[in-house]
Amino acid sequence: MKDKDIVFAGEHTWASYVGHGFAVISIVGAALALVSFFLAERKGSVQWRSLGRVGFRAHSVAVFSIVALLFIMLLNHWFEFDYVWKHSNREMPLRYIFSCFWEGQEGSFLLWTFWHAVLGNILLWRWKQGRHSEWEAPVMMVFALVQVFLASMLLGVHVFGERVGSSPFLLIRQLPENLGLPWTGLADYLQKIPAFQDGRGLNPLLQNYWMVIHPPTLFLGFSATLIPFAYAIAGLWRNKLKEWMEPAIGWTFFGVMILGTGILMGGAWAYEALSFGGFWAWDPVENASLVPWLTLVASGHLMMVNKRKDTSLFTGFLLTLGTFLLVLYSGFLTRSGVLGDTSVHSFTGDGMKPGLMLFVLTFMLLTAVMLVRDTGQRKFLGLLSLALLVLGIVLKVQALAVLVFAVLFVIALFWAYRKFPKAAQEEAVWSREFWLFIGALVLVLSAVQITFSTSVPVFNTLLSPFAKPLSWLAETTGSSFIADLSHAKLAPPSDAKAHYNKWQVPFAFIIALLVGIGQYLRWKETDMKRFGKQMLLSLVVAVVATAVVVFSMEYEWKELNLIALLFAAVFAAVANAAWIWKGLKWKFAHAGPSIAHVGFALVLLGALISTSKQEDVSRNTGRMVLSFLSKDFDDNTDALLYRGDTVRMGEHFVVYKGKRQEGVNLFFDVEYLEAVPRVYHVGDTVRVNNSLYVCTTEHLAVDHFLADPANWRASQDFTRRQQWHAEPYASKAPGKSLFGLAPLVQINPKFGNVAEPSTKHWLHRDLYTHIRFAELQLGANEATDSLQWMPPRHYGRNVGDTLVTPTSVAIIDSVRSVRDSMTMKLLGPEFDVKVAYLRIRDLYDEGRWFEARPLLIFRGGMAVAGKGAELEPLRVRFDLERVGPGEPMEGEDPAAAEGDIGLSVSDREFIVMQAIVFPGINILWIGCALMFLGTLVAVRQRWKRKPSKA
Amino acid sequence: MKRSHIIALVVIAVAMAMLIGTLADNSTFMGLAQAMENPGREVRVKGMLDKSQPIVYEPVANANLTEFTLVDDDGVKCKVRLAKAKPYDFERSESIVLTGSYEGTAFHANDMLMKCPSKYTEGNKLQTDGEWTKVK
Repeated sequence: MKDKDIVFAGEHTWASYVGHGFAVISIVGAALALVSFFLAERKGSVQWRSLGRVGFRAHSVAVFSIVALLFIMLLNHWFEFDYVWKHSNREMPLRYIFSCFWEGQEGSFLLWTFWHAVLGNILLWRWKQGRHSEWEAPVMMVFALVQVFLASMLLGVHVFGERVGSSPFLLIRQLPENLGLPWTGLADYLQKIPAFQDGRGLNPLLQNYWMVIHPPTLFLGFSATLIPFAYAIAGLWRNKLKEWMEPAIGWTFFGVMILGTGILMGGAWAYEALSFGGFWAWDPVENASLVPWLTLVASGHLMMVNKRKDTSLFTGFLLTLGTFLLVLYSGFLTRSGVLGDTSVHSFTGDGMKPGLMLFVLTFMLLTAVMLVRDTGQRKFLGLLSLALLVLGIVLKVQALAVLVFAVLFVIALFWAYRKFPKAAQEEAVWSREFWLFIGALVLVLSAVQITFSTSVPVFNTLLSPFAKPLSWLAETTGSSFIADLSHAKLAPPSDAKAHYNKWQVPFAFIIALLVGIGQYLRWKETDMKRFGKQMLLSLVVAVVATAVVVFSMEYEWKELNLIALLFAAVFAAVANAAWIWKGLKWKFAHAGPSIAHVGFALVLLGALISTSKQEDVSRNTGRMVLSFLSKDFDDNTDALLYRGDTVRMGEHFVVYKGKRQEGVNLFFDVEYLEAVPRVYHVGDTVRVNNSLYVCTTEHLAVDHFLADPANWRASQDFTRRQQWHAEPYASKAPGKSLFGLAPLVQINPKFGNVAEPSTKHWLHRDLYTHIRFAELQLGANEATDSLQWMPPRHYGRNVGDTLVTPTSVAIIDSVRSVRDSMTMKLLGPEFDVKVAYLRIRDLYDEGRWFEARPLLIFRGGMAVAGKGAELEPLRVRFDLERVGPGEPMEGEDPAAAEGDIGLSVSDREFIVMQAIVFPGINILWIGCALMFLGTLVAVRQRWKRKPSKA
Repeated sequence: MKRSHIIALVVIAVAMAMLIGTLADNSTFMGLAQAMENPGREVRVKGMLDKSQPIVYEPVANANLTEFTLVDDDGVKCKVRLAKAKPYDFERSESIVLTGSYEGTAFHANDMLMKCPSKYTEGNKLQTDGEWTKVK
């Protein structure tokens, strides 16, 4: 290739070479570590172990250098690199450089690799201190194997025509689609081509501080699951089925803490920056991070049982190993592009699918082979699966191979289970270990349900080779369901929230109850009389508190599942708080688990209350009723607010005041006013169903007019004008201004405009608002003019014609010249004033007629000025634009040039805003903080403790 | 019967119920033609916005109604009533997935997923004149 000889001006070609070089070092280092630690374990040799450490350190240094280099590239805006160009630009605030770093596929893999390298080195350092150092070789072997895979994802080289991984160090001119294009031969292409002067920038949704800390936290959590996995594999390898848990358990709860925090940070980001109105939407990407957390929690709790005895040992292994497999699977789901049409925030494929699949399958194979205790079966299974893998890759019959592989995996687990050591006798029913086991099972069921529902697109892929037999089956049985299966067209449940809640609420109920009683149960056997006495107080408090919440927040009996969960969550919080007091006598150092459990219960409670009692306070004020169109359509969201109007919304009055631009953000200022009791004075009129009523005595308004008949008399004679300007009866009046919110729309031509919510936080609830629709152009006198208008609609008509606007029907009765002496004297004889006489009917209220007379002033045949007619009740203005034949204007509807009369109709400026009240959402955030703190205390306690003799 | 067997049976029963329940809740991807043959059945339809037809969104009449025409992957066209405000940059969307049912005259959608080219894919290409254009 020729470009080797060209010196590209200003291009940091060296960084590309160095970056690729580090990528190669990182994979070679990891491979060296893998082989060395393997041999060290096999031969018990210290030399091999030292070499393994060297390999892993080299790998780590390479990974850290790649991270540093990518940051340097981003910080210095080296837009010749594809990754830099795609994910950053010059305008962006510096802190978002971090978000750019992990926005792309390559960056997020790098982050994952980075944390593994960090954790691996921490492990090496801790072993050096002498604790549990006997586990070094087998654990690091697993680490190195994972790193070989991850490092290969960053290579971006072609092997046998298949691309392996994707490198962040690729120059734009090296992209496959650009190879050979003429400009790639220009030595000064960076200076000549304007597109290289600035990058595309970061997706505006990600320009949020949560996006700076959420991904690294989440990935640290994901990475932490590798440690218990590696220990478990090491335990199986050495046939020390219990000893590995002592060092692994602290790390497991470390993972629980970090991963849980990371997930909730994602929720906080969604709540603050996204406009779906909530912190959790059961999106596949969210689910993919929740599922490993559930199994990690289950595995951590089972380890506490398994350390002591053999009961549920197999389940414990399965969970520990399964958690890491689920992390890999979640990586596969979100990165391979398989989710495609079911999630809005998944990555596109980028050809990563085969590599990722191989990654997942390899570790499934490792897990299965290690779990099988019988050497013969192990060899048979290993070879068969390996053969299948190779066959699948070579013949490219992925789906079939994966399916057979999965069946083999299940058979392997069955074999493994039969040969696994089991407890000689069953545990007592009222023992802590028994209920921990039940809890773990429920968590697993919960995880299985989420995984199953999330994986629908995967099933479609897997089912596709069986289209023919399935459609035959569908024809013979006449089942439309099988017919759907045969088309491989299964779609996820359309109401995701309802679907998941139906299953997850009962699971959460059981879990919360178990969390409540867990610490009161004793290992081996519990004295049930004492247990009952201890639980009584918490039970009573929980029942009372639940009753108070149920009645004050008006839960209905048909929501029994929610009430049950409410009770269980309150009970769990109270019982664990009581344990700190009664059981631990305020010994804070031992209170970690209890604090974390209180936190978990509060997270459940906050999520339950804020989502089940969330209220759309914005009402659809549209004139057309949606439910006429379809029974499924909901009228109760998204209020239309005309600028300057004071309207009731929830327990406030709101006024949309106007918009202002700051940088790329367009803010919409909405003022919130107190709603105070309304006083009607003598002579005040209100409109009730087309009739007018006049107030006869000064009095305080009540809830409804019908409840207030004594103070009003029906008015007999009133003008139409009076009738339509009279306000309806209202119990409240706007009082003093309380606060303002400014939801915004970020103007971003490259990525599309994005609305960001604005939320008012109180202690007990949040008011969340965001803009659904608005005029994004600033008006001429935006700051001073309280009346602005939406862009006009133009109509071309003749006298006698009608025109239909979205809210009205207008009839053009006539257009006349005004020639009265007054006008002539005022303007002078050279002016001619034309007036259009319009009759206007409310489109949604046939009895409601108005008149409008817009005028246009001509001088010597040229229109020089006009005055529109505003119809205040309809919030509409009519302008006369033209009298005489029209000419089509560029960019306008040609119909507007028809006829002899040009009219334009403008609506008063408005915004469409959604407002939701989330009660008790702070309980969730407090719970999150407590869960983090409690787990931190527990992990610290565990790491400080001397190795137990047991 | 040992207690562990009872637990195993319960777990298997719940798992089966979940499996069936999930499949029952699942909706189906369909072409428009098939959706029209099954009026009232809730389905998912994938396609593109027909940019030759107008997008009607009149918030002053109703802020929660957007009307447009969808062309599905087989080229079948259908009027759509979406019970939502018009999303930002709807005109730029290249692929949409609707959830709803066909009701006599139009497809009534309660939900919509939308993909915009520059947001979710990376199909930008550099040309010699330095202008960036989108390729599908």
